[in-house]
Amino acid sequence: MTIKLEKLDDYRWLIPQTGAMRVPGLVFADRDLMKSIQDDQSLTQVANVATLPGIVGHSLAMPDIHWGYGFPIGGVAAFDLNNGIVSPGGVGYDINCGCRLMTTVLRADEIKPLIKEMVSALFKNIPSGVGSTGTVHLSKSKETEVAIKGAAWAVKMGFGTAEDLERTEDRGAMEGADPSVLSERAIKRGQNQLGTLGSGNHFLEIQVVDQIYDKEKASHFNLFEGQVTIFIHSGSRGFGHQICDDFLKIMIKSDANRQKSFHLPDRQLACAPLQSDLARRYLAGMACAANYAWANRQILMHLTIETLLKTLSIRPEELGMKLLYDVCHNIAKKEQHLIDGEQVMLCVHRKGATRALPPGHALLPEVYRTVGQPVLIPGDMGTNSYILAGAEGAMEHSFGSCCHGAGRLLSRTKAVKKAKGRSIHRELEDKGIFVQSRGKRTLKEEMPEAYKDVSQVVDVVHGAGLARKVARLRPLGVIKG
Amino acid sequence: MDSHSATFTFLDHTADLGITVTGLDPKDLFEKAAHSMMRIMIEERPSGKTSLLQLSVSGEDYADLMVRWLGEILYLFQGEGKVVTCIEICSITQSHINATLQTVPFNPKEHEVSAEIKAVTYHRIEVVSENGRWKATIIFDL
Repeated sequence: MTIKLEKLDDYRWLIPQTGAMRVPGLVFADRDLMKSIQDDQSLTQVANVATLPGIVGHSLAMPDIHWGYGFPIGGVAAFDLNNGIVSPGGVGYDINCGCRLMTTVLRADEIKPLIKEMVSALFKNIPSGVGSTGTVHLSKSKETEVAIKGAAWAVKMGFGTAEDLERTEDRGAMEGADPSVLSERAIKRGQNQLGTLGSGNHFLEIQVVDQIYDKEKASHFNLFEGQVTIFIHSGSRGFGHQICDDFLKIMIKSDANRQKSFHLPDRQLACAPLQSDLARRYLAGMACAANYAWANRQILMHLTIETLLKTLSIRPEELGMKLLYDVCHNIAKKEQHLIDGEQVMLCVHRKGATRALPPGHALLPEVYRTVGQPVLIPGDMGTNSYILAGAEGAMEHSFGSCCHGAGRLLSRTKAVKKAKGRSIHRELEDKGIFVQSRGKRTLKEEMPEAYKDVSQVVDVVHGAGLARKVARLRPLGVIKG
Repeated sequence: MDSHSATFTFLDHTADLGITVTGLDPKDLFEKAAHSMMRIMIEERPSGKTSLLQLSVSGEDYADLMVRWLGEILYLFQGEGKVVTCIEICSITQSHINATLQTVPFNPKEHEVSAEIKAVTYHRIEVVSENGRWKATIIFDL
């Protein structure tokens, strides 16, 4: 299926409303990125999302868009609360997959000789990979508490401070979580995975701030050139997957039995009217997974601090690790947005897209009220990551959303083929990046060439005014599942 | 059917992993699809003490049944730590499967996982009969 595109300006492309589409599509990309976007099925997916009932404005795609299942990855769509829908496929299986960035007072040149040792210690102490289990085993009642309180539960258990909650989206706990809607399977899968990194594209990275773009905002974020930072990318593990899977299957069945007033172009887009009890139950279960993910990343941060203090034999104040921000990129949230001059509550789906609030936004914590929300954009393994600050353009054009990463360019099969006969481990080490991974194929599947150029993606969101570049981070060491 | 006799073809999907599987009839197709999924995850023939279990799955149609069938086998791995090694479908209609499965306990030290399939998706799911052969297209979330 060929999707018609109209170039609006240097960074925006319109997919005109045709056929069953209820609104047009809008893709943020430059000419070069658009070429690779057109190589897969992601634009068809943008058009498919536009057919869902109650969609408002545009079916949006960020510049890191690529072919997902149902929604494209990098997709954003907002739905009217009265006649719109919620779709588990629009959130994704890994509910509240997200990023957490911590700053330190260490300088990269001080720890350079110890990077290998730090990577090995982190790899040993932070459970990762398939079937890995965490150090925290949850009874059913404790798991219920995690699902309701999120990161605050982890802080209460000694895995962090109250200040960390201030610097976490939604203070690390979404409202409306109701563990009574969860299946026995979900509860079982959540019991032993808290404090684990996961596999695939999840990672923990030691980085150095290698370029500052906006001195004022960087200073507000306590960033300086040469500073060591830690980036964590992880989610709600098997718990979130099971919740998505459970509700997707219920919605498929309900779609099959329901006299539908619209055609679903892809079963993975199965959805429930936002006014229905099924939608309420899904959102209550989704919030449980979101809260679990925030507790998970809070514990991962704690394990990182413990490991680095021991490995470097330093005191906490000499490490000075502080949370800059924690933001999710797979979620559906009820938010207020300005539509045709009126403030309206919408259900915004972000699947592979990060929230990006501009300065002055009421939901921002006091500490970031004047500069805007830190927007964390991880690169792929071996390339730079970026810190941006939310900008007004995001509220005008993208329901307060921004890209979430580089975005895949090659399928895993193609990446493995391309890496045949090469030692990705060695290639990265030659660039001064030490990597340890558990999966046999992970390094090949996740090699730098498998991803788009993250700097190009970031330049588009900066140019389109969705967020402003603040600093660039270069990897020094990576652990992967 | 043994898990290492199944054949499948990879589809090129940017973010995730897709396969096409063909079979002589629905029974053959569903057995092969399940074995293909297990083989993508664990390449080597898994060893260990075998157990038998009965599995019964219902769906709306063949496509829905395929997602639910594979989903159940995947859950045995993810939730119960059981690697399915042998499958015998006893009966199959377009809305129901009864099967006997042979499993071995997952041992992370012995069983190397080459790709972690996290979910079986409904995206582009297809089960069709073409010229006397049965064919399924399945996309997995990685």
